[in-house]
Amino acid sequence: MATVDIAATAPARPGIAERTPLRYLDPILIFCLVALSIYGLLMVYSSTHQSLETFHVDPGYYLKRQMLFLVVGVVALAVATVVDYRLIKIYAGFFYAGSVVLLLLVRTPLGSSALGAQRWFQLAGFQFSPSLFARLALILMLAAFLSEVKGELTLRHVLRACAIGALPMVLVFVQPDIGTTIILAAILVGLLVVSGASTKHLLVLAMAAMLGIFGAFQLHIVKDYQVSRLTSFLDSSKDAQRANYNKNQAEIAIGAGGLTGRGYLHGSQTALNYVPEQHTDFIFTVVGEELGFVGAITLLGLFALVLWRAFKIALLSRDPFGTFVAAGVATMIAIQVFVNVGMTIGIMPITGIPLPFISYGGSALIADFIGIGLLLNVNMRRFA
Amino acid sequence: MPPKGRRPRSPGRPGGGDVRSSRPGTSRSHPSRSPRPPAGRLVGLLLVLLLGFSGIVVRLALLQVKDAAAFQAMARNQRVRELTLLASRGSIFDRSGDELAMSLPATAVFADPRLVRNPASEASIIAATLHLDTGTIEAALTGPGRFVYLARGVDPVRADGLQRRHLTGIGFLDETRRFYPAGDLAPQVLGFVGVDGTGLAGLELQYQALLAGHPGHEVVEEDPSGTLIPQGVNSDDPPVPGDDLLLSIDRQVQYRAQEALAAAVKSNGAKGGTIIVMDPHSGDVLAMASSPWFNPNDVRQATQDSIRNRAVTDAYEPGSVNKVITASAAVESGAMRLDQRLSVPDSYRMYTHVFHDAHSHPTEQMTLGDIIAYSSNVGAIEVAHLLGMDRFASYLYRFGLAKRTGLGFPGESPGILPPTSQWSGTSMGTIPIGQGIAVTPLQMACVYATIANDGVWVQPRLVDGTVGPDGTVTDAPAPDTHRVVSIATARAVARMLGYAVDVGTGTEAQIPGFWVAGKTGTARKILANGTGYSTKYIASFIGFTPASRPALVVAAVLDEPATVYGGVAAAPLFRDVARFALARLRVAPAPRLPTPPHAVSTT
Repeated sequence: MATVDIAATAPARPGIAERTPLRYLDPILIFCLVALSIYGLLMVYSSTHQSLETFHVDPGYYLKRQMLFLVVGVVALAVATVVDYRLIKIYAGFFYAGSVVLLLLVRTPLGSSALGAQRWFQLAGFQFSPSLFARLALILMLAAFLSEVKGELTLRHVLRACAIGALPMVLVFVQPDIGTTIILAAILVGLLVVSGASTKHLLVLAMAAMLGIFGAFQLHIVKDYQVSRLTSFLDSSKDAQRANYNKNQAEIAIGAGGLTGRGYLHGSQTALNYVPEQHTDFIFTVVGEELGFVGAITLLGLFALVLWRAFKIALLSRDPFGTFVAAGVATMIAIQVFVNVGMTIGIMPITGIPLPFISYGGSALIADFIGIGLLLNVNMRRFA
Repeated sequence: MPPKGRRPRSPGRPGGGDVRSSRPGTSRSHPSRSPRPPAGRLVGLLLVLLLGFSGIVVRLALLQVKDAAAFQAMARNQRVRELTLLASRGSIFDRSGDELAMSLPATAVFADPRLVRNPASEASIIAATLHLDTGTIEAALTGPGRFVYLARGVDPVRADGLQRRHLTGIGFLDETRRFYPAGDLAPQVLGFVGVDGTGLAGLELQYQALLAGHPGHEVVEEDPSGTLIPQGVNSDDPPVPGDDLLLSIDRQVQYRAQEALAAAVKSNGAKGGTIIVMDPHSGDVLAMASSPWFNPNDVRQATQDSIRNRAVTDAYEPGSVNKVITASAAVESGAMRLDQRLSVPDSYRMYTHVFHDAHSHPTEQMTLGDIIAYSSNVGAIEVAHLLGMDRFASYLYRFGLAKRTGLGFPGESPGILPPTSQWSGTSMGTIPIGQGIAVTPLQMACVYATIANDGVWVQPRLVDGTVGPDGTVTDAPAPDTHRVVSIATARAVARMLGYAVDVGTGTEAQIPGFWVAGKTGTARKILANGTGYSTKYIASFIGFTPASRPALVVAAVLDEPATVYGGVAAAPLFRDVARFALARLRVAPAPRLPTPPHAVSTT
């Protein structure tokens, strides 16, 4: 009532303050984002400064680049927040089609490849990975599609949703990027669950997914080397032995951290590069070694907080599209955390998935920031 | 109430069919009546995702709390490496401080054959640089395994040259190389070390613990490629260098003694020989060598016989030099007066054996002095009988026979002296004249040193002191001493020994300007199978000079000289060595000793 009064009594100031939904920005979510970003910067610096010093390069090189990505990410987040998500919904099909085109283009000579995988575009010294943005496009597309379904979700709807998901999944899978494929699959399953697909359909889908993706790993989990061989076949950026080595070294580094860690910048395994790719995929080992169980739980707590806010936003959304977008973003972040952390502690196969907000890398950071922006967007417009 | 904004509430746009809903762009103004997704599913999805998180927490608790210690140990084991820091081996100096053995920095060259790409060309480069055989190197480079030494103890300059060639699969290790700057000087005394720098013979072996010092340990961190991280864990266990040894050996005397020995071996057609020069008062061994010898800088060329320090490791039957014990015992015990005369025929029958003097002579009246001077076997046996077996045997022991000298030298022999209970019927015939027992040359040198030292036996020694890493000199403990005979007895026996050189069998040992006291020995060698005596001899002369104020004892022993007799083969060797040693030690001449009572007219 008060707002109405103010609007009525102060027409001279038809100000933004009253009208803008920005006052409904979720402070807890923003706090989590800031905390995670700072946490990530600290970890990126810790995991890279020693190697850079060894080569007599500016030890803050990666830190500075990551800060630049953060700035871009904040701008992208602002755009994703300010533009009404219902407007975004209109263009969901456009985003989806665009990401599919980019995924196709990255397979052409326009795309860059390394270690046998063709994944990104090289743009003025920066890498742009379309697969990371395909996740967002899939969320928007599925959310738009599912929110338009009236009444019961039929098998036909489920199959259509699966077809929408399958296209980018196949394109990402052949890059090959098994990690992002898993994320896309999780988003598809998560949104089907939330949209109220019948248990029967979900079970069939779950079984198909299990056999199709996790089955490859889980059936062979008894024999470690086969898993790593399979993993390395699917994800040829690492050879089999190396995958096993990475897993062992990651576990050693994390285990050696103990309860309270060896202290920031004092992780020997980290400093001596025992764990490779530790500023990107294996950055959680730095958390585990230097900050210990306490630091790891704190980080997981921040992610859990994000999850809680995301699901609250999904519940309170004024329309199903917002609910699906929020649930999709939540699923995307949660699965990334689970798969990434899980591989460093030996409960998930080794795949190239970054840890959201923590790992070094611009595309992932910006994509995840846009995801948070969508959450803020849905949340602050829950009354409008 | 929330602001309404432009909320679409147009009931005129009922939701389309499937076709329309698949085109989200057209659904901008769909009715908000669209069914809200079931909240239960949302909560369920959240719970599933949080379940995944809790799985991570459980796993983290296992890794970081339960098994943290094990992982910390694993991390440490793979990251931290303990390096052994070699302690520098002590040097060995002669009594004037000249280096006889020292350790030099060197390089070991090794190969990992699996990494070698072109064995033939690498082998030729290595062989040319290190002066080795190409075929041997190539065989090593193509052999099995992952580590093979190509060369050890390589001069670092030469190794650097090879290192600059950047050959694949070839590595270098720092080590030390033992170097004996004086070459083949006193090699059997010094001994030698193995390729790993451990003493294997001689003083290098005897004082291994002292010379070696204690290796240090350095704990370093390394990255996965094996690169050492300099600022890793600190080392607080530096190596402790070994002590230096200060020998009693005099480099000059040793050199001349070896030179004279080699010459004597050659001129007498001998198989070998041993020379010892000793200070009779301190027990210091000034020179000690056996021929043939070896060069410790090139041990691989050495024969087993040339490595042994035969002056202390090999016992031989001394022959007539042993008569000095017989005479000393007789004088000390009073069994025979100095002027007492014995009727000495030229042969003496004991049980089945007949003992002869070296040369036939009519039965003569002889004093103890005559018996020593002319080295009469029969006379010595008669004297021993005056002493009796037990009294005679006790003096053998008191003079240090059948017991190691206390030098502690590796492989030192105690000699052989059967207990009297095992003496045969002829033992009182053989032992007084130095057969049927065995002594080392050093033991017998000590017997003469006892006479020269007024009757006091002094433990011989090769090491006078040690120098610690901090430069502090520690003197060797004072040598054991014990009185064997009285001063009067010692001087009386010295007179007899001087008389032997003056007029008896040892005249070849005379040194112009100095009076010499000494005794010849010509001992038959036992057969290799121990069943009797051969026709080969060991000739020896052991004595001291100046006779009246002894400064040094010299023992000269020649093995199987063609010239047979101690007086002919060994006495000149004694003379050459003693004469140089007197000059080197700046010994002043001393007055002549009075001749002992004698009955045989000098010819």
